[in-house]
Amino acid sequence: MVDWLTNSWLWLTKNWLYIAVPLVIFLATYVVGLWVRRIAYRAFNRWAAAGKWRGSQLIIQTTRTPFIYWFLILGVLIAIQVSRLDSSSKILADRILASLFVFSLCWVAATLSTRILKLYVGEVKRLQPSEPLILNIVRIAIAVVGALILLDIWGAPTTPIILLLAAVILIAALAFRDVLANLFSGFQLAQGEQIRVGDFIKLESGDSGYVTDVTWRNTQIRTLDGNLILIPNSRLVQSTVINYGHPLKKASRPFRFYTRLYLKELTGLKASNLAEMVNLLKEVPDSVIYYHTHHFLEEYHYLTPEPANDFALWVSDELSDEILGEKLASIDTFAFPTIGALRARIEGVIRDYVSKKPDGRTAREGREFHFIKSVSFIMPTPYVAHDLREFVEVLRQVSIDSLSYHIFEAKLRLKRGVNDFAIWIEECLDDKDLADKLAYLDPYNYTLEGLRSTIIQVIEKRIK
Amino acid sequence: MQNEIHLQSRSRLQDYEPIVGRSCLEDLRRLTEKFSGKVIQTVNSTFIGGGVAEILEHMVPLLNQLGVDIRWNVITGSDEFFEVTKKFHNALHGKREKISAQDFALFSEITERNLKEMSFYGDIIFIHDPQPVGLIAKKKEIGRKWLWRCHIDVSSPDKKVWSFLRRFIVEYDAAVFSVPNFAQQLPIRQFLITPSIDPLSDKNRELDSETIDAVLAKYGLVSDKPMITQISRFDRLKDPLGVIEAFEMVRKSIDCQLVLAGGTATDDPESEDVLVEVRKRAEKNPDVHVLLVQPESDIDINALQRAATIIIQKSLKEGFGLTISEALWKAKPVVASAVGGIPLQVKNKFTGLLCYTVEGAAYSLKQLLSNTEYANWLGQNGKEHVKQNFLITGHLKNYLLMFLALDQPSEVVYL
Repeated sequence: MVDWLTNSWLWLTKNWLYIAVPLVIFLATYVVGLWVRRIAYRAFNRWAAAGKWRGSQLIIQTTRTPFIYWFLILGVLIAIQVSRLDSSSKILADRILASLFVFSLCWVAATLSTRILKLYVGEVKRLQPSEPLILNIVRIAIAVVGALILLDIWGAPTTPIILLLAAVILIAALAFRDVLANLFSGFQLAQGEQIRVGDFIKLESGDSGYVTDVTWRNTQIRTLDGNLILIPNSRLVQSTVINYGHPLKKASRPFRFYTRLYLKELTGLKASNLAEMVNLLKEVPDSVIYYHTHHFLEEYHYLTPEPANDFALWVSDELSDEILGEKLASIDTFAFPTIGALRARIEGVIRDYVSKKPDGRTAREGREFHFIKSVSFIMPTPYVAHDLREFVEVLRQVSIDSLSYHIFEAKLRLKRGVNDFAIWIEECLDDKDLADKLAYLDPYNYTLEGLRSTIIQVIEKRIK
Repeated sequence: MQNEIHLQSRSRLQDYEPIVGRSCLEDLRRLTEKFSGKVIQTVNSTFIGGGVAEILEHMVPLLNQLGVDIRWNVITGSDEFFEVTKKFHNALHGKREKISAQDFALFSEITERNLKEMSFYGDIIFIHDPQPVGLIAKKKEIGRKWLWRCHIDVSSPDKKVWSFLRRFIVEYDAAVFSVPNFAQQLPIRQFLITPSIDPLSDKNRELDSETIDAVLAKYGLVSDKPMITQISRFDRLKDPLGVIEAFEMVRKSIDCQLVLAGGTATDDPESEDVLVEVRKRAEKNPDVHVLLVQPESDIDINALQRAATIIIQKSLKEGFGLTISEALWKAKPVVASAVGGIPLQVKNKFTGLLCYTVEGAAYSLKQLLSNTEYANWLGQNGKEHVKQNFLITGHLKNYLLMFLALDQPSEVVYL
């Protein structure tokens, strides 16, 4: 034991430089590292303080400690290179140090990317559910790159692995191309904040509704008829979408659109001349008067506005009495609050005319006036509007039967006095001005499609 | 079951959406929800041939697609029975027929036999035309809702035949007519439902120009000048000679051609004679083409209508006149007599021009040939009118509403 200590001391006194030089180099590198870190991070802190990017602080926090480790590794590396170790030991040491450096670099990259991603994903609510997936993808990518570098350092053949990985990535990209497209589109939507939960949007397909959710794969819309549509983000990004923004004032009660279909029922009553017509007018039910003053509007709704009542047409066409025909055609149906009042007016016009000109014509056989009644079937549709935006969009979609029901039938036949739209807007949206505009709009001056457009224009003007 | 047919639909319901719109099909689907668990039994006299069978052939599969359990049965009967019902048919149209007591007895006997043999399973039993009208006798025993669909004009019937049939008809819950004028005063509810065309059938679907040209070539026609066309069977009531006369008045001032195309009716011995007369009358004029079209030539009829500049229907008497709906659907300007169901389809000066005389027809033809824009406007209006009122989807809707109305006597029904 004494001999061993003596021999060691002798060796040290003879070769002390072999140890002292690497040690000094190592310590010097460490000191330089501390000094460089101080200078560099002071400058970095100034830059971070001047800039507004919050990620800069994360970079500082994450790299500050590893920075000094990297100098330690550098110090050891230089020390070993100047030492008297044999070349194989030096190579082994180089590889170990390089591995440590790569490992620490990967750790820093993973930690930093995790922190930065969390910062952004945390701020964007719609991406929160997909946070673990995104983080795992980034971590795996860094780990794979690190592992490949390590393999290269240790001399393992990496080309086949890289090729294999490339193939796997290619296959995965092909297999999940839709998912990836949706994912990137989701990022695009999130980044641009073009579509947010709560927005009212209209798609190219004509469907419209409120956005209820945006995930990394699709965007969910609740349509006006209550259905949910899931649109892949990639498709949403590529298509034309009108975004009307956030909802307007909510109505105290939603407007449920109804539709009305009708069936014609023969009464068996027919008139050949004006005397017969005026007598039968007194006794036929209201549904007959409603039918003969409104069916032309619906059956010929595509034409420019024309005489709204069959009485006028029959008198002109079959009795060739243009004067009475004109008098009947000019009866303003809109001015009458009830069918009874309208009936009295029609009857009065004919009676007055007959009293002055009693020798009227008789219609040819087969061309008599048949009194027909309208049997209405009223059904709810799935369409509901909670605000004016929804109302306008539904109005674009509902059938003309629905429009007729709310405008004509509700006012006159169901004795509501005003059309349903005006009632809802006044009672549930407290907008008397708009309600009055719709209430005083004479629907008999328009074709049904023209009426639809006009109502939409009036409401859209108010929304703007 | 014997005498029950199961049909495969030729068209899918969704195929109609581009034509009639989504809301129309949505309405139909909502209506059919009301028929859950109900069976509708429809009964007529034949599965093949005739307008009623043609309508049911299209409607039954479409209603089945909508989820309505509608089943189609036919009555059975001897040749003698159908000869009697043919006589009834003619008599109801106002034609003089010799109908004996034996004929009425045979009708009652066959009705009795069908009452025994047929199974009555429908919640609603929907009977078409006079042949099976007597089946209503079963109502006393089984109840249910019974409907009688009259496809013919009974406005001026033979009184003896009408009073015989009327005692059956008044037992029904309701009757259905195609045109107000075709109806009679009855103590039961009467609905007005017009017939319809199927826009996807061979007779009405879109055709490409090659097909149209091929059909014109087949009949030796050249579309080098305006073509006035009447599609009708050769029958005096369609007034083919009047059409030629009107055409000749027009031809004096406008270079054009006339096509009279149709078939001869097997049940009308006169039609061959009419064809001979028409051909003889036409031989003097090279611009008049008389074409005998074979039955089942729907594509040919479609092509001839589409090739026409104007379609004329100068009938002296007419049923509903679905050839008018077919012409209007092809956006063709139409000149037609104001008879039968034609005025329901042609609103004068809006969807076509109505006429009453040969001179009136000639005047209208000249007006349209000289004013292409006006003619096109009428044609487009006519197409829209058919779309709104005379397509099979509307027909289905009306039938469904009528079935619902049987349980609802009020004028405003909340579903």
